[in-house]
Amino acid sequence: MSTMKTDAIIIGAGWAGSILAKELTEAGLSVTILERGDDRATATEGDYPSSIDELRGAIRHRLFQNLSQTTVTIRNTVDQTAVPYRRLAAFLPGEGVGGAGLHWSGVHFRVAPDDLALRTNIIARYGKSFIPEGMNLQDYDVTYEELEPFFDKAEKVFGTSGEPHTIRGKVAGKGNPFAPDRSDAFPLPPMKDVYSATLFKTAAANVGYHPYSLPAANASAQYTNPYGVQMGPCNFCGYCSGYDCYMYSKASPNVNILPALRQDPKFTLVTKAHVLKVNLDSDGRKATGVTYLDLRTRQQVELRADLVIISAFQFHNVHLMLLSGIGQPYDPVRNTGTVGRNFVYQTITTSRAWLPARHYTNQFVGAGGAGVAIDDFNSLNFDHGPLGFVGGAPVWVNQAGVKPIAAAIGGPGGKAPTWGEGYKDALVDTYRHSLAIDAHGSNMAYRDVYLDLDPTYSDAYGQPLLRMTFTWKDNDIRMNQYVVSRIEPIMKAMGATRYALGTLKAGEPFDTRRYQTTHLGGGAVMGADPKTSAVNRYLQSWDVPNVFVIGASAFPQGMGYNPTGMVAALAYWSAYHIRTTYLKNPGPMVQA
Amino acid sequence: MKIRAFPFAAALGAAALLLLASAPHARADDTGDLVARGRYVAEASDCSACHTVKGGRPFAGGLAFRLPFGSIYAPNISPDPIHGIGAYSEAAFSRAVREGVRRDGASLYPAMPFPSYARMSDSDIHALFTYFMKGVQPVASATPAISWPLSMRWPMSLWRAAFAPSVQSAQKDVARPFPDSAIARGAYLVEGPGHCGACHSPRGIALQEKTLSASSSTLFLSGGAPVDGFVPTSLRQDQRTGLASWSEDDIVTFLATGRNRKGEAFGGMTDAISHGTQHLSDADLHAIARYLRFLGPNDPKATAWQYDPAAATSLRQGNATARGAKVYVDHCAACHRTDGAGYAPAFPPLAGNPVVMSDKPDSLVHVVQSGAALPGMARAPSAFVMPAYGQRLSAEQIADVVTFIRGAWGNNASPVDATSVASLQHSAPPPVLSEKPVPLN
Amino acid sequence: MKTPSSTRRTFIGGLLGSASFWLYSNHEVWADALAAGQAGPYTPRYFNEAEWRFLNAACERIFPTDGHGPGARSLGAPEFIDRQMDTPYGHGALWYMSGPFQNAPANLGYQLSLPPREIYRQGIAAADAYVRDHHDGRGFADLDAADQTTVLKALEQGDIALGSVPGHTFFEQLRQNTLEGVFSDPLHGGNKGLAGWTLLGFPGARADFMDWVNQDGAPYPFGPVSISGETA
Repeated sequence: MSTMKTDAIIIGAGWAGSILAKELTEAGLSVTILERGDDRATATEGDYPSSIDELRGAIRHRLFQNLSQTTVTIRNTVDQTAVPYRRLAAFLPGEGVGGAGLHWSGVHFRVAPDDLALRTNIIARYGKSFIPEGMNLQDYDVTYEELEPFFDKAEKVFGTSGEPHTIRGKVAGKGNPFAPDRSDAFPLPPMKDVYSATLFKTAAANVGYHPYSLPAANASAQYTNPYGVQMGPCNFCGYCSGYDCYMYSKASPNVNILPALRQDPKFTLVTKAHVLKVNLDSDGRKATGVTYLDLRTRQQVELRADLVIISAFQFHNVHLMLLSGIGQPYDPVRNTGTVGRNFVYQTITTSRAWLPARHYTNQFVGAGGAGVAIDDFNSLNFDHGPLGFVGGAPVWVNQAGVKPIAAAIGGPGGKAPTWGEGYKDALVDTYRHSLAIDAHGSNMAYRDVYLDLDPTYSDAYGQPLLRMTFTWKDNDIRMNQYVVSRIEPIMKAMGATRYALGTLKAGEPFDTRRYQTTHLGGGAVMGADPKTSAVNRYLQSWDVPNVFVIGASAFPQGMGYNPTGMVAALAYWSAYHIRTTYLKNPGPMVQA
Repeated sequence: MKIRAFPFAAALGAAALLLLASAPHARADDTGDLVARGRYVAEASDCSACHTVKGGRPFAGGLAFRLPFGSIYAPNISPDPIHGIGAYSEAAFSRAVREGVRRDGASLYPAMPFPSYARMSDSDIHALFTYFMKGVQPVASATPAISWPLSMRWPMSLWRAAFAPSVQSAQKDVARPFPDSAIARGAYLVEGPGHCGACHSPRGIALQEKTLSASSSTLFLSGGAPVDGFVPTSLRQDQRTGLASWSEDDIVTFLATGRNRKGEAFGGMTDAISHGTQHLSDADLHAIARYLRFLGPNDPKATAWQYDPAAATSLRQGNATARGAKVYVDHCAACHRTDGAGYAPAFPPLAGNPVVMSDKPDSLVHVVQSGAALPGMARAPSAFVMPAYGQRLSAEQIADVVTFIRGAWGNNASPVDATSVASLQHSAPPPVLSEKPVPLN
Repeated sequence: MKTPSSTRRTFIGGLLGSASFWLYSNHEVWADALAAGQAGPYTPRYFNEAEWRFLNAACERIFPTDGHGPGARSLGAPEFIDRQMDTPYGHGALWYMSGPFQNAPANLGYQLSLPPREIYRQGIAAADAYVRDHHDGRGFADLDAADQTTVLKALEQGDIALGSVPGHTFFEQLRQNTLEGVFSDPLHGGNKGLAGWTLLGFPGARADFMDWVNQDGAPYPFGPVSISGETA
């Protein structure tokens, strides 16, 4: 085994890792990113038109994790035996440089401020008894005002397109009226609304809701970000989610950060480096570096460092903490430990409206981050008192470019056949003349929903797989059903000839065979109390203070919004406090 | 073949020297400063593109220039006394750089652009010499031998006697009057160390540049013969085919980053910017831009380009019946837009682009069939790649689409036929990414 | 002229070495596509003659020829599936295939030890055997269209036990791969003449809608183009 030394090790070259690497090299540190996948460059892999290939992209998962090497096991309840997630379906973690930040779609929200202190807010409005038995409702221990500069910074790095509502307290545009105040405008004007989104916008407004164009990390015009990197504009080709954006217009670590970072001599990127564990000193209170497997040589390498940033995909962060002995593993029976606690996801269901045949929705036209949404039923923007559930969902037309294989396999919808006689008729009608409306909602944390190490299955490197114990709970199903019921008036107002509402069904377990979202969260959550959170408000491990764990793993609840904006803001927030406080005086930044 | 070889070599050879003159207030009597300044110049320059092979020791030479009768090699110019230039005096060094004469009296091939370097000042030569002697590690490896007939140097002596200016006459031309000191500075950089004319000026029957400075003829920088298949454009104020529509800032941005709102570098210019101009100070870049804009047109009769919306309007209405329009919509419009405006600086405009409207369609045809890669630069770290269409489109299709591009949006260049495209396939550069540009994104 | 310091071959080699399991460079995409285009009548590489007949018949029933245009057979879906069998996907190299393999509720996903090529090999053999048992010794390919559809429906609904491969699993594999073949870029062997895309009005690899972000519900005017530049 060879041994080397660097100031800071960053595990994973996605958004969080790339942001931390940029910030820490700016602070003068030598930084090494260890990425277990391949290097990826749009110029060679994402080029036009070779990358415009649905089979290789979204169907065979060119940019996604190869499960043959490592996966998770899943069960719905603690009394089941978990079995491996053998084929990618329900969620799609990325692999390689850029991570999920390369294959994401680009919806770029901030956060609903009320969600950051959801427990406090729910209790204040409805009393403690409103919280269902077994729901681990928690606050983030950080406020929107504290995070605002970092949301702003991330948007400028990403080249985010959007329309503001208020800037410094003054109405500045026709953006989401429920959105929090901003210190500055979006760096780019909003994306245009596709035809379907226009119909939704008009209909939703007619019903009395408050539609707005989604904030998108798809560039609405050419853009040069603060790092000097350049983006082309989005031309609505529709190859966002699952692809690497040949137009260089969807923000990614590859396009927006790494070109600048790669020029920095203090920066090192090591690919095909699978981190086996973070090494701790003898009393387990200090990380000394990591041991990784060089996947090219199959040799183990020990890399020493003063600072270790765990910034892989959400559940890989938790997995690595469990494998390394950082923090106490969560035990749902005794309700002790924090690592693996509050594992959360998102609810999503799709409803569909069919329009008269003279209306072509041209669903192949689209952008992953663009569309029109309403926030009337998200977060605490509506009265939950009479409804009796916690959480909510934005509702949107997010026409991200519907490709033919996905449309064909998914089927025409409704009661139409999925093959054979009558199939083509229905498929053509649905493809040409329909539009989809999603309810993309929150998911609360529960005492018996969590992550731990699987007792049976192991990965290609001999380490135990991570085990997910996860299913939908009544609170979330009722939330979804309520929000979807609010879509019906929009369907009618837009002149749909027919429509189908998609909801979660009472008692329905989590189904791993159907894509939902890749917005997994929690498991190493941030908070004020080391008994219920794995990291403090700066995303610093309570137990090993020279380890920071950055990502959606820090979310105590699954929010209605897409997570990337929040992940990027938390990464800049954490980096700022590492630079201004931690590096001057390494040690716990919050006393337990 | 020779036509391609010499200008290209020259283009690669010495953009670096530009910097020598630009380092601010260096004290000539301070050796440390001189070496640092020289090193900076060498890093910023393209000396290494010819005199250092990829992965090899700095300035150990070895890069081959293939000619019909054999190859010549850029020599080892590290300060090794046997294999390099360690035994050179400053006078001998100066003579080699400015006059093309080796220490042993043999003539250099004009792949080394000494006709331009003759204009370089004594103080720049002094800094450069100091750097090579004191700032470069000697490398004791021999340059590959040049075989007969190219080993015969006497024809080069005749060439030199006929076409290379004396240092004295070159310096006299440098000292001619200019409207202001910035333009004078720009003239020095462009005509001297920058040796822009090596590619961008026409050449005569013996491959000599017809003119080595703007003082003698409007042919200077009026466009050159193809280099690696690409046609260097006019850098003068020619409408449509020159830089008449480029502002001073456009030129500065282009030389600093390889891209601007009007276009993107390709071919040998990418190297010239990457190794050379991107490292120049803003003041020097502005001096160059002011000088270029000071050069009148070579063809004063050409009319200014004006945008014509007809082609874009048709395409937006779903009408792609014009010759080449459908190929354009299917393969080009995604990045270059139906209105030809592109999305600069990421994707360059084709409407009003001088490269597109050149009399010779070579550059446009080659970019279509071979693609192009713009690497990241210090001040613009993003790399952009145009894919190669040579295996995707037939000669007919390329001719059609090139004709469309040359005639749409107010462009007025002549149509191109499939036979011309087919004949250009023989001189096509290797497809883009057959060598990986670094860094990519 | 500069001597290329690396050849295309070494570049591609390096790229393949550094990129994920299945990365084409442009040039290989071309080589493959052009070779396939010149090949003439397709000879299956993986499926034997009996399997090939079954596959052709089944694909055609899933996506039949009708007034809308050609069916899966003439669109090349069987060729597509055959070519997929020798990809990492066909070999199961994209799936976690370590044991133990246990029975689990359907909603927890695929838990068999079989890669796609084995699902076909065992599934076709068992389905054809079932058909012979119930149709006087005739195989699936020899049934009339209505009977073929009846068999496929029974497989879909899990009414036919196929031994090692549940009928529904086999059917869904067949359905998904057939539709992939109908609607993927012709590079992969199906969607001949871009007829799958033409049916839907999908523009293919043009991937540019800047002028068509919103034209008030008008149909998009241009036919499809493939990665290799084929148009329809």
